[in-house]
Amino acid sequence: MICSSDIIYLDYAATTPVDDRVARLMCECMTREGVFANPASRSHQLGRDAQGRVEMARHEIASLLGASHTEIIWTSGATESDNLALKGVAHSLQDQGRHLITSRTEHKAILDTAGQLEREGFEVSLLVPADQGRVTAEQIAAELRDDTILVSIMHANNETGVVSDIGAIGQLCRERGVLFHVDAAQSAGKLPIDVGEMCIDLLSVSGHKIYGPKGIGALYVRSCPATRLEPLIHGGGHERGMRSGTLPTHQIVGMGEAFRLAGQQMESETYKLTGLRDRFWAGISTLGGVLLNGHPDARIPGILNVSIEGVEGESLLFALRELAVSSGSACTSASREASYVLRALGRSDQLAQSSIRFSIGRYTTEGEIDRAIAIVAKQVHRLRGLAPKTPVTSGREAG
Amino acid sequence: MDSLDYSQQVRDRFDRPANAGRLLGPVISGVAGEEGLGTRVEFDFRLRSGVVEESAFRVYGCPHAIAAASWVAETARGRRLDDTRWMDPLKLAGMLEVPEHKLGVLLVVQDALEAAAGKFDESEDR
Repeated sequence: MICSSDIIYLDYAATTPVDDRVARLMCECMTREGVFANPASRSHQLGRDAQGRVEMARHEIASLLGASHTEIIWTSGATESDNLALKGVAHSLQDQGRHLITSRTEHKAILDTAGQLEREGFEVSLLVPADQGRVTAEQIAAELRDDTILVSIMHANNETGVVSDIGAIGQLCRERGVLFHVDAAQSAGKLPIDVGEMCIDLLSVSGHKIYGPKGIGALYVRSCPATRLEPLIHGGGHERGMRSGTLPTHQIVGMGEAFRLAGQQMESETYKLTGLRDRFWAGISTLGGVLLNGHPDARIPGILNVSIEGVEGESLLFALRELAVSSGSACTSASREASYVLRALGRSDQLAQSSIRFSIGRYTTEGEIDRAIAIVAKQVHRLRGLAPKTPVTSGREAG
Repeated sequence: MDSLDYSQQVRDRFDRPANAGRLLGPVISGVAGEEGLGTRVEFDFRLRSGVVEESAFRVYGCPHAIAAASWVAETARGRRLDDTRWMDPLKLAGMLEVPEHKLGVLLVVQDALEAAAGKFDESEDR
């Protein structure tokens, strides 16, 4: 029997624990001794105190993105931000055009929203990433049309960690007068982002991917020139009418502190996570038949996605239950279907099924990595030993 | 049942699969399934006077496939190979608590057993 406390958490790309420093600030904003009042209640000091904390947090988000605080809208998370960006632009600009461009390896929050827009009569071009998971500006250029109103490409892929050249795509879109949205849920706080330099018009972020709370996110909306968005949620006119609803002060304060800490620690965390990831890869790649999924260099440091030959995916995941890992992504794990991201990268159904995403983070230790390597090695050998044959290559190829 | 919630018997057989491996020497083997389709099962049976004396299995597949093949290899011992009626996939599904959408896996296990039985019919050891 495996106790929860014995499990090594290697699923930081799915979510992260709230940093103690973040939790402490959040607690200050919940009880009657703290800053609990409604930030919209500007008629009294307690409300204005809450509003002040909300605005401080807004500055932290803006600061990490190179934006102005007036360009940040609070949402319930990156999924809502993605919905607001795509539907908001599409509904607002439908008189100018009804064509959008995105890629097949986006998060479901983009793909399902794009699917809904298709049902409403919009046209969506879905690109297959050309360069080992990277979407290139050349691919976007080939799909742009006179009636294209929005391009949406994620910064870092949630399954593979592969990073696309957002700056080049943003430059292209700006030159062609097309709005550019970026889902940065996996990259914010982990990679430098400057919405101005990267010519980004809209950008989605989430709190819980970088040691903040779940249930809070934000959408950056470029203000100059103003980006027109049709709101999804009406009632009260909060967030300049673009997202009504009482602001959850504690969540917002938590996300703000998480972003402040992420900005402060980005360089040291990148160094640490790169070292741990490379140590892990060095350990498991010696098994043979372990294939790296995605671009070998252009990726965030915290994610290592591999396919393991000669073992069946469900058995592999169950055999590795001492490790908290994802098969494909947390969102596709529920359905046990082969990862659509890896299938789009050209992996066979079988190899996509036997893929595991290991994602490491702030609290991962060398000891955990070494123990994880030993567990993976033992279980892969065991399952391959049970199999009729072990068609294992010795390659370390990327796909 | 969630796809990764397995019965105790499946867990036990997955972690300690009795009879896994290959039998050397004269044996009757049965094979079914394809790795590319998610499940492949192989059995080896050594007979004495038509009765299974030793058995072994190899599986590429999910924990249910491993558990089912292990159970079949174990249960076949002491039985005649030309009578496989004891292998009822529906009863086995009930015993191992295999969800309905995984019944196909048990059919592959049954096919591998039947393939071996078919070879026994052709052999001289009756």
